[in-house]
Amino acid sequence: MKGYHLGELEELVLLIVGILDQEAYGVSVAEEIKNQIGRKVNISAIHTVLNRLEEKGFVKSHMGGATEERGGRRKRLFSLSASGRAAINEVKLVRNRLYDQLPPLALDFSNG
Amino acid sequence: MDKKRNYYPPRLADRFLEFYCLPERLEQIQGDAYEIFYMDLEERGLAYARFRFIFHVFSFFKWSNIGFSKFMHLKNNNGVMIRSYFKIGWRNILKQKGTTFISVFGLSCAVGCCIVAYLFIANIWFKGLNQPNKDEIYQLVYTTEEVEGPVTYGTVAEPVAELIPDNLNKVKNHTKVLMEFPLLIQDNESYYERSLYVEPSYMEMFQYRMEFGYPGALRETDQVILTHQLSEKLFGDINPIGQELSLVINGEEKLYKVGGVLQDLKDMDMFNFELLVNIESHPYRTTDIPLKDAWSNELWTFIQVGEGAEIDQLESELDVFTQIQNEINPDKPYTKMGLIAYSDIIYNVGKIERGVRDFLGIGPQILLGTIGLFILLLAVFNYINLSVLMASKRLKEIGVRKVIGSKRSQLVFQFLSENLLVCFFAIFLGCLLAGFIFLPGFNDIASKNLQIDLFRDKKIWIFLGAMLLIVTLITGLYPATYLSSFKPIRILKGNQKIGSKSVFTSVLLSFQFILAIISMVAAIAFVQTNHINSNRDWGYSSADKIIVNVPDSKDYVPLRNKLSALSSVIEVSGSQDYVGNWIGEKEVEMGDEKYSINFLSAESNYPELLDLELREGRMFNPDLITDTQESLLVNQTFLDQFGLEFPLDQTVTIDSADYHVIGVVEDFHTTFFKNAIEPMAIRASSDSVFNYLTLKMNPGSAESSMETVKKIWHETVQLGLFEGKLQTEVFENEIADVNGVSKLISFSATLSVILALLGLFGLVSLNMTAHIKDYCIRKVFGANIEDLSKKLLKRYVIIWGIAAVIGSVFSVFFISSFLDSFFAFHSGVGIIPLGFALFILLAVVMTTVASQIWKVIKANPAVILKSE
Repeated sequence: MKGYHLGELEELVLLIVGILDQEAYGVSVAEEIKNQIGRKVNISAIHTVLNRLEEKGFVKSHMGGATEERGGRRKRLFSLSASGRAAINEVKLVRNRLYDQLPPLALDFSNG
Repeated sequence: MDKKRNYYPPRLADRFLEFYCLPERLEQIQGDAYEIFYMDLEERGLAYARFRFIFHVFSFFKWSNIGFSKFMHLKNNNGVMIRSYFKIGWRNILKQKGTTFISVFGLSCAVGCCIVAYLFIANIWFKGLNQPNKDEIYQLVYTTEEVEGPVTYGTVAEPVAELIPDNLNKVKNHTKVLMEFPLLIQDNESYYERSLYVEPSYMEMFQYRMEFGYPGALRETDQVILTHQLSEKLFGDINPIGQELSLVINGEEKLYKVGGVLQDLKDMDMFNFELLVNIESHPYRTTDIPLKDAWSNELWTFIQVGEGAEIDQLESELDVFTQIQNEINPDKPYTKMGLIAYSDIIYNVGKIERGVRDFLGIGPQILLGTIGLFILLLAVFNYINLSVLMASKRLKEIGVRKVIGSKRSQLVFQFLSENLLVCFFAIFLGCLLAGFIFLPGFNDIASKNLQIDLFRDKKIWIFLGAMLLIVTLITGLYPATYLSSFKPIRILKGNQKIGSKSVFTSVLLSFQFILAIISMVAAIAFVQTNHINSNRDWGYSSADKIIVNVPDSKDYVPLRNKLSALSSVIEVSGSQDYVGNWIGEKEVEMGDEKYSINFLSAESNYPELLDLELREGRMFNPDLITDTQESLLVNQTFLDQFGLEFPLDQTVTIDSADYHVIGVVEDFHTTFFKNAIEPMAIRASSDSVFNYLTLKMNPGSAESSMETVKKIWHETVQLGLFEGKLQTEVFENEIADVNGVSKLISFSATLSVILALLGLFGLVSLNMTAHIKDYCIRKVFGANIEDLSKKLLKRYVIIWGIAAVIGSVFSVFFISSFLDSFFAFHSGVGIIPLGFALFILLAVVMTTVASQIWKVIKANPAVILKSE
């Protein structure tokens, strides 16, 4: 299996970037993770992951959207690339395939 | 939103982020950090938000984010920027020639003075530290219990040196050093020269550059090594190797050959000497002396330790010597022996008796340091004032640069780089001034041999570098930060007022005036005191008298007879010491009290010959036997100090013999006015041999007879140095010293007045240029000269007044104690010095202002008001 190696956080961030569509940048990704999953992730960790994903070619980015809160600084906005979407699909497929192979819970009794 | 405007993330952390972050990541990272900060601020408050911000800054401090962008960034255009700073600075300097001249001139004078002061002080503290082996050399010392507690001596018993190789480990070299003042005879001229008797290893431990010959010359016992100065004095410019000279110690004459000449030591050697002699040739060495006497002879002993030597170890090994000494000389036991590092010798001055250096001369150091500091402060204040004022012409530049986006730090750097240029010139010129004008003058006054040795002396480079840095920062920081703090919008609108009338300028100006007043008062008071003292009555008549030394007692009688036979000599008298020199001290007893007094024994005609003025009683009568045995003459201070009345109802006991006081003379100065008059007693001694002869000559013939006296002296005395002098010249050295100091102070006072004048002139003229329209309008409306001058003068006269009050108070306190250190007799800081100083300063202020008023008077209002 030719690899889309994704770490757990990488996978999560990749999904969130996909969900946020055009509006994904460091702070919004962290917020979304907090809202959706209730998990607090350090902003610097998110930056690291986003950078790594970009290196792997799963996301692409452009600068834009300066706001006053940021002192007039622009955001780096991320969006899914084609290979990023393929990676998500791949990961989902793998997960599903693996899940399907789980033996049903009922069989446990016979072995007991 | 309000909250957001008022609060910002912690600046330091933000700076740190900017400092380390990769430039291409900085924007997103910083933006996110800010955004979170404001979110936190709204949710949880300021403290939490700040804490989180700092936390985030550190959590971003990861390898992938670190780029030290600032350095990388700067590297690209650093050179260009710095070049631009200096280019603009250079143009500015050229544009403002007048003020730049004032600044550079003032600063370079100050730097020159500071260099002289530094060299003088360094010459004392860094003496001898150019020796390459300085860290390996140690001096042997010992401590002993005395009445007043433990005392440490810098000398040790002579035989210790011989025992060093057997008893101390890891000692490479050792030498004895004995200082003597033998009589040096060469080509029928004789001199007393400071000589070091050393072992040949001395030349290996201490290294000197040789002008002629080689350092090993001392291995021959009949060779000596001369200093450059002595060689020049004796032989002139020729190579003196092989020339002969002889040294006399205790009447024993020894012949030596010159084996080498050292290059000029420039006063930078630890030891002061004129020639080096092998100690084997010292007369004491040849005679066999008892063991106990040998151990009582003490001299300096130095060792050079080898590698890996432990000083603690060595010090404990020294105990062997302590034991030997205490066995041989039980009546004078050592408590402990120790080592003093060569480079620490200077810090032990005063703690060690009979050391190599026993005198620091703190006074002159303070004097010179203060002068240097005064002048430097004056020049620095000038510069600060002028550069703030000059910048008023550059306000637009500051505004435009700020709008275009230069940071404050860049503006500060711009100003500092201009300062650096000016200071660099000033230091360069200061070196030239010091080297060619100040130092030669100072060396002349202080009979020193100071030089700027840029090639060998590393410390002078450190000093100059430090000077450049410090002066640049001091002069630059205030103007730079002040000027760069202006808001561009105010500058460009034309609202920014620059402080020509600012308090700061006034404070600096008053400070300058105060310094000028103090230095003027010092100079005037000193000159005044000097003048009064030169006319002071010495208490006796010094005219027509010659003093002649008698080195050997066997020559006394023949010399006295021959001199009395001279036709121009009226009378001859012998004395143990002579008036005009230090007089020996003795302890006297009166009743149960003991006092220390000056005690002079002389022939009975000495007081009359010297024309001492009798106050009460009578002089000695040579015909009375009692007068030559048990009579004393005392001076008035003797009575005053001990609360006595003449005639005394008690006898005076000196050396357990009783004396009657038969007369009282008026006080007279036996030493220079630096010292107060001490109680003194003169005894008419029955001894027939004295150290000095005083000749009373026919009026007006003293000077012309000097040659004859000298000739007779040389005919009579075989070995010795003729030290004859006129009684009028006994204070010559002291007077020369005091005149030197007086010149020094007058010079510095003149310089400080000139600097204050220049500074004032710069200020007033810049002020005038800035407000010339104001004055012209007044003129047009009919203001006369008086009104105009009043307006301009008012501020400076007020500053003068303040400075006058403060300066006078300071002068009265400080200058009096300053004079005290030079004279026991002075007039203090009276009306004359204060009045003069204040008047001169006022005159300076008036003239400066008048010169500017003249400008207004001459100006044509029409032309000036038309121009824009």
